Amino acid sequence: MKKLLLIAILSAGSLFAQVKGDIEVPYISYQIKMGKGFDAVQANCLMCHSFGYIINQGPQSREFWHKKIEKMIVHFKAPISKEDEKIVTDYLFKHYGNGELKE
Amino acid sequence: MKRREFLKTSMVASAAILGTTALSAGETHQPIDGRKVSDMAFPEKRPLITYSDRPPLLESPRSTFARGITENDEFFVRWHLPDIPTHIDTDTYTIKIDGLVEEKLEISLKELKNDFEQVEVTAVLQCGGNSRSAFTPIAGGIQWGSGAMGCAKWKGVRLSDILNRAGLKKDAHWIGFNGKDNAAYYETPNFVRELEIEELNDHVIIAYEMNGEDLPYLNGFPLRLVIPGYYSDSWVKMLSNITVTNKYKSLFFMDVAYRVPDNKCECETPKHKFKPTKPITNMNVKSVIGYPENGMKLYHNSHVVVRGVAFDDGHGIKEVLISVDAGKTWEKALLKQENGRYAYTEFRYAYKPAKYGKLTFMAKAINRLGDEQPFAKDIGWNHGGYKYNGIDEVTVEVV
Repeated sequence: MKKLLLIAILSAGSLFAQVKGDIEVPYISYQIKMGKGFDAVQANCLMCHSFGYIINQGPQSREFWHKKIEKMIVHFKAPISKEDEKIVTDYLFKHYGNGELKE
Repeated sequence: MKRREFLKTSMVASAAILGTTALSAGETHQPIDGRKVSDMAFPEKRPLITYSDRPPLLESPRSTFARGITENDEFFVRWHLPDIPTHIDTDTYTIKIDGLVEEKLEISLKELKNDFEQVEVTAVLQCGGNSRSAFTPIAGGIQWGSGAMGCAKWKGVRLSDILNRAGLKKDAHWIGFNGKDNAAYYETPNFVRELEIEELNDHVIIAYEMNGEDLPYLNGFPLRLVIPGYYSDSWVKMLSNITVTNKYKSLFFMDVAYRVPDNKCECETPKHKFKPTKPITNMNVKSVIGYPENGMKLYHNSHVVVRGVAFDDGHGIKEVLISVDAGKTWEKALLKQENGRYAYTEFRYAYKPAKYGKLTFMAKAINRLGDEQPFAKDIGWNHGGYKYNGIDEVTVEVV
């Protein structure tokens, strides 16, 4: 009845290898864009979710990104400062924006 | 940071960075299709379309819809909170039932499997945001193609049997479910789901098996809630606590997220959002073609068998129709329904392509209530990108 726990390893020949023990969820280094404000993104966003969660939302308006950050603060209780709120919004809109200010 | 060093060397970013958007009054079209699967696999999964590693978000490719049962290692994955226990001790794992019950219970996995009647239900699990990439302007959230769904045989114990053993008190009215996944911050609300007692029936189970095996870790091992007919946000994973209350407790994931406009079309425009809203619960009728896939080449005059799956919230699929002339005429596909009304209905349709060039297959399901899938363009936009069920299209080239 013991469950065989699996571990995913990326190597040349095989994508799968089975090992008994703890589950190891892989880490993906998403190719997020570098630029002004990136440090604040790394410090505030990466605590809870991967960059994949950001870049797979699609290009969005400034208001959209700002609302997302507000949601993190209001609903998810992320301790993001007022200053970082703006820096992160600017960064996300610049690199993952659709050019529109409003939704 | 051990986890990172472990795999950092050879990672490649996965899923797509999405194209530009054309802002408009709110349109729908075919969801994005044909995203490449990742070149890496998550535990107990073969490589899938990968949107995020933390929380894990994995989508099944279109080919999975050519079969009535989705294999465990191909089954999609969607977690909300990042901190998922990576070690489960099956000897000590328990599920607690408390609140307005006569007797608080703490049931071990062994007791669950031995002391209750074991039941099985085959049911479709689908994310409310499945096919979200069909919406323009882009609705907030992961831009899923059509693969945030699957169908499995779930084995477990009736929730009602467990609640009966605990004994519900007179004023019991709501049942809250919580799993073992946690947020990075203590203050973040848990992913709790509440159901009204009236919503319960014998098909709601606490499952420990999927397709004859232990639940995969990423699909909620060792226990998850199974609510046939409902979208997957209700199917709490790694279920650990059931709390019975008399009052509805305000919850983020039920009160803010996973809601659609409370009007007939469940739609709105980006400029005029509709209030009030209601939670997404029952799934609408939908079908997806598993074979052939977009961009495939098929031989002229060959024997093509279009295959796919259709489902609804349990009323059952009456018909699946196929069109090869952009929806002007429709013909019935053959159905295979052997896993019950909550399962995928498999359909197949034989076709001999007599013309060279592009050929588009459309599939439309109709359920026993007479509800049928609308054309993609006729679906109302909503800000969450929920409940898309447009007629599926696959375009191939006849050579």
